[in-house]
Amino acid sequence: MNETIAALAGTGASIDVQGISKRYRDTTALDDVSLQVKAGEFITLLGASGSGKSTLLNIIAGFIEPTSGRIEVAGKDITTVPPYKRDLGMVFQHYALFPHMDVWENVAFPLRRRKVARAEVERQVRQALDVVELGRLAKRRPSELSGGQQQRVALARAIVFRPRALLMDEPLGALDKRLREQLQLEIKRLHSELGTTFVFVTHDQEEALAMSDRIAVLRDGALVQVGTPEELYERPSSRYTAEFLGESNIFTGHHRGARFIDATTKADLAVGETGDCAGALVLRPEHAHLAAPGSDIPIGHNVLNGVVRDVIYLGSGLRVEVTLPDGRAIVSRPAARGRYTPEPGTGVLVHWHAERALVVPDHPSVAP
Amino acid sequence: MACQVTVPSTRERVSAHDADPAPAAPRPPRRAGGLLDRWGSLVLPLVAFLLVVFVLPLAFVLAQSFTEPEPGLQNYTDFFGSPVYLDVLANTFRIAGMVTVVTLLLGFPYAYLMTLAGPFWRGVLMVAVLVPFWTSLLIRTFAWVLMLSDTGVINTVLREIGLISEPLPLLRNLTGVLIGMSQVMLPFAVLPMYATMRSVDRRLVQAAEGLGATPLQAFWRVYAPLTAPGVAAATLLVFVSSLGFYVTPALLGGPGDVMIGELIAKQLSGVLRWGFASALAIALLVVTGLLLALVARFVDLRRMLGGAR
Repeated sequence: MNETIAALAGTGASIDVQGISKRYRDTTALDDVSLQVKAGEFITLLGASGSGKSTLLNIIAGFIEPTSGRIEVAGKDITTVPPYKRDLGMVFQHYALFPHMDVWENVAFPLRRRKVARAEVERQVRQALDVVELGRLAKRRPSELSGGQQQRVALARAIVFRPRALLMDEPLGALDKRLREQLQLEIKRLHSELGTTFVFVTHDQEEALAMSDRIAVLRDGALVQVGTPEELYERPSSRYTAEFLGESNIFTGHHRGARFIDATTKADLAVGETGDCAGALVLRPEHAHLAAPGSDIPIGHNVLNGVVRDVIYLGSGLRVEVTLPDGRAIVSRPAARGRYTPEPGTGVLVHWHAERALVVPDHPSVAP
Repeated sequence: MACQVTVPSTRERVSAHDADPAPAAPRPPRRAGGLLDRWGSLVLPLVAFLLVVFVLPLAFVLAQSFTEPEPGLQNYTDFFGSPVYLDVLANTFRIAGMVTVVTLLLGFPYAYLMTLAGPFWRGVLMVAVLVPFWTSLLIRTFAWVLMLSDTGVINTVLREIGLISEPLPLLRNLTGVLIGMSQVMLPFAVLPMYATMRSVDRRLVQAAEGLGATPLQAFWRVYAPLTAPGVAAATLLVFVSSLGFYVTPALLGGPGDVMIGELIAKQLSGVLRWGFASALAIALLVVTGLLLALVARFVDLRRMLGGAR
């Protein structure tokens, strides 16, 4: 198994996206996007529909011509190179298997186009099908396979010719949840064992967090933030990233010195960094602790009074919704068996360490 | 309700059969209350019509081929024993085959262009292929005579601009027949191919290019095979329809281009050998049927013609 994967392993190429824009008659799909993908990296383009993530992938693949900008693969400008000469593997959400060919012929297709010798085609197709564990279905037609099997065939077809990078356009979007999670693991395993560059497009933030080395968040055709999943989660640079990735408690207000003044309640909260701007305070639920009224709060913590509205048992912990006096809700995720057990309808203190909350400016794009 | 007895719908027959092994099982009363059967009976006028104008005359023709002028196989032995008549049969198939090739070669790119064009130009192309459809066959054929004759439009223009000194032989020969018949048959080639092409997922062509196929390879390895059902349907439709042509080859063709339709007409109205004409018609029908049966061995005809998926 590992031997066959090793046989298909290649060295991934770096992909350098330089100032790519794509304008249609009256809309801008991509606006001056620059992104450096390192060789062998698993990068995810994450965004809602219409964010331009698929457009960017199709520009890298060569199916869409950019209005301006350059694409370099392994240091070479390929902006005007047609797709069939780019040597990039592509996996589509709709699988795009050739219905008139069986599984074996589908996987052999890229090798045949490269005039690989017959015996070599035989060997490499076998290997690729073994990698996705579909060797026994080689003679089936795509229409005789389940969605998950079809996508595995598409994967085998995309890696069989050892492409310089693998581009995947929402490859798991058409599959149900269980299958999606299973294939996420398989794709991640493929990446670590092949060592090729992976560019993965999804709108599913959990998928992005689970799979990627780095995530590029796109919004309305512009790049919002690029970073490791941890960076994006712990240090979002904008309210959009904070809300898009994971659950957040957000307070809008003003950042002054090491304080944050909430706009509605005028509550004065301590924060770790200093600054002076309008912005939002982002507090992740796992950093929001709960305590019984009157109990001691550690030094350096902010405290808010509230009433427990809802407690949901999640197995690994609790998800508690607390209503603040001004009616807003705040979410906390304490451990299931802490010292304090929240009861719906009772008063509660919500507290967090000043360093744990983050202030993001309202207009991060203004900064250079 | 007697109609239900004479022509039971498929559904009724199936359900009756299903009920046989388990008559004890209580079956819910059918909500439709025979509605389907009543809808099914709507087909009766057509069945009656076909019976009167098609099946009965055909049976009559078949009988006549064995009985006129006297009972026996005389008409068939005459036909199959004479190289002249067999030549006409062979000629019929040869011309139909050539017309098929010509219409496919013209129709395939035309249909492809229709799938590429925007809504406006697609409409224009569609009308262009359908307009001849709406004019009388006889008028179209005479129009071709005016176009193709030695002093016709084409030869006159070519002579005027000095491209030729002697008129091109376009009429009363195979060229004329092929031009005339191909024009008539073109819609039958274009429409089924267009219908199939429209349903081909063009993203597959893109995928092929992403996997290393040049645009030409992507077209021939992926797109073209997926249009095969349409091409097959067009082939069948054009070929079989061409076999029965009469007016066009008679007016545009020469003595060497006699097709069996023309021969049948001559036997009927010229020499009044009704029995022999019947035998010719039956022979054409049988040979065509055999040919279709042969094709059906290799191709799923029902699927090709959109009957079943």
